[in-house]
Amino acid sequence: MVAAAQHPNITLFTYSEVDSVGGYIGNFDVTIKKRAKYVDYSKCTGCGMCETKCPTKKVTSEFDEGMGQRTAIYKPFAQSVPNKPVIDNKSCKKLIDGKCGVCAKVCPAGAINYEDQDELVTEKFGAIVMATGFDLIKWGDYYPEYGGGTIPDVIDGLQFERLVNAGGPTGGKIKRPSDGETPQTVVFIKCVGSRDTLKAKSYCSRACCMYTAKHAHQVREKIKGSDVYVFYMDVRTPGKLYDEFYMRTREQDGAKYIRGQVSKIYQDGSKLIVRSEDTLVGKSVEVEADMVVVETAMVPRPDSVQVAQTVGFSYDKDGWFTEAHPKLRPVETNTGGVFLAGCCQGPKDVPDTVSQASAAAVKVVGMFSKDQMATNPQIAAVNEATCVGCLLCKPICPYKAIEAKEIQERVHGETVTRTVASVNSGLCQGCGACTAECRSGSINLKGFTNLQLLAEVDAACL
Amino acid sequence: MKRIGVFLCWCGSNIGGVVDVPKTAEYVRTLPGVAFVQENKYTCSEPGQAAMIQAIKEHKIDAVVVASCSPRMHLPTFQKAVETAGLNPYLIEMANLREHCAWVHAAEPERATQKAMELVRKAVAKVAKLEPLYESYIPVTKRALVIGGGIAGIQAALDIADAGHQVVIVEKEATIGGRMAQLDKTFPTLDCGA
Repeated sequence: MVAAAQHPNITLFTYSEVDSVGGYIGNFDVTIKKRAKYVDYSKCTGCGMCETKCPTKKVTSEFDEGMGQRTAIYKPFAQSVPNKPVIDNKSCKKLIDGKCGVCAKVCPAGAINYEDQDELVTEKFGAIVMATGFDLIKWGDYYPEYGGGTIPDVIDGLQFERLVNAGGPTGGKIKRPSDGETPQTVVFIKCVGSRDTLKAKSYCSRACCMYTAKHAHQVREKIKGSDVYVFYMDVRTPGKLYDEFYMRTREQDGAKYIRGQVSKIYQDGSKLIVRSEDTLVGKSVEVEADMVVVETAMVPRPDSVQVAQTVGFSYDKDGWFTEAHPKLRPVETNTGGVFLAGCCQGPKDVPDTVSQASAAAVKVVGMFSKDQMATNPQIAAVNEATCVGCLLCKPICPYKAIEAKEIQERVHGETVTRTVASVNSGLCQGCGACTAECRSGSINLKGFTNLQLLAEVDAACL
Repeated sequence: MKRIGVFLCWCGSNIGGVVDVPKTAEYVRTLPGVAFVQENKYTCSEPGQAAMIQAIKEHKIDAVVVASCSPRMHLPTFQKAVETAGLNPYLIEMANLREHCAWVHAAEPERATQKAMELVRKAVAKVAKLEPLYESYIPVTKRALVIGGGIAGIQAALDIADAGHQVVIVEKEATIGGRMAQLDKTFPTLDCGA
């Protein structure tokens, strides 16, 4: 993180979003929305005085996954990069009704600016790397039998990460959310929301087997004499030193792995009753737990489809970004100049994410090794003589490559202006959707013209 | 009229084990415009490509059909080969005798052979109508945008920046680090997430 912030070639736009993308491979025009931070970063020293004095202290912390609280002017966590705060305009009293202004009074650098506005900047780029990551499935919506998110001591894996993290809200002590007690019996349930074709996602979320083993290990390490149960469908540990890690959790740490799908969790006094079957023994089991961690499916970010449409590339039925070829072009999209890194393409663990990110970087650097690049000539071409300018082709184009163009013609001695379709050769990817849509047969895909394709059809029907 | 060269690939036994390639070759010779037909064990291999290049030159072939695998696999390979032989790289058509024929009709070799003939006939008809195409060149802005500042975005940005190019990371949250920064220790080595 710090290496990226300090690198002379890297510029960080935090608290910012991509607003629109125009242009094409080698020449994208990207408009970025820099959201109002209400803090002037050129003056702020990151001293933290504002956070200490902010009277709004009970805002649920997004970074701590609801396990902790933050102030209205805040850094997401102590080691944030950049190490400077922003004001959350939804919870700041000054910004809501004008009654506060404490942070501006205490700021020794005079960096607070309540008048700050969102700002749009447009910059030119040759390549885009998508690295928008993942979310965890909102398991409560799918599993009412696990309490549907209403039992406070049933938490997800990321919430557990914040509990066990030395920089987290409990200082790394595992305490259950309901009463702050140290849980003695902790149950982990794997494949919640993943590999569940009936209720949730059909895919394997890939990283959970390993991080569950890690979580189980951490409970056994941090809470002496604790009992750890892991309910699982299968244990999948392909990876260097992965199976060894898992076996250590079972054999040395003594985590009890039970093969079976949990059918119900309910509160009984201060205990949580976890009911399941043990499919290896063929009996039903019941565990009296103090805390339950559901290890849930990764899902795309809620705005992933919108982001894919803004940048202009394809995504799959679940909302993951689609690679150009599953084996041979795993970090490219079907849109030239747009590459994929990490979980936005599908669930993966940290080593795979880092590998894919480096691969995407190599593709970008390869592109940048030349001053100009050759374009595929198999793109759409408009016959302006017959195009009637209906522009039905324009909305059908998935790459936003077709625009209206005014041309001038001399008809019977008079100059007339009329509209025709025009293909941007940089944006067109040669998919041919426009040629099928064109009523007058005026758009042809070079290398796949109507004449050429009909010759094939004639030969096939011989 | 173009002088069309047809190169039929066995793909080892992938195609040759199902489709009767010699019989297909015999039929292809009768098609209009076909000036030359050659069979090859592996057309994509170095000797296969060399034989193709030599044949194009010797027999004054000016358009090529390669009947082998999916164009997704080897079209760029064969485009390079015909370009080496002096032809425009877009005067080539592939007939997919592997994925579209031999693999899916393995149980019916005779009908697969019939289909192979038809696929090649189709490709020959198209290649007769092909025109040379020429690539154009566009300038490249050597500046990268990384959308998302988690571990994936940071790693990609660092690698591109280390190669000497400018990178902008756009991150929605107030800090970079993403999910990784939320994690305590990471498997299998249990080092820290931040």
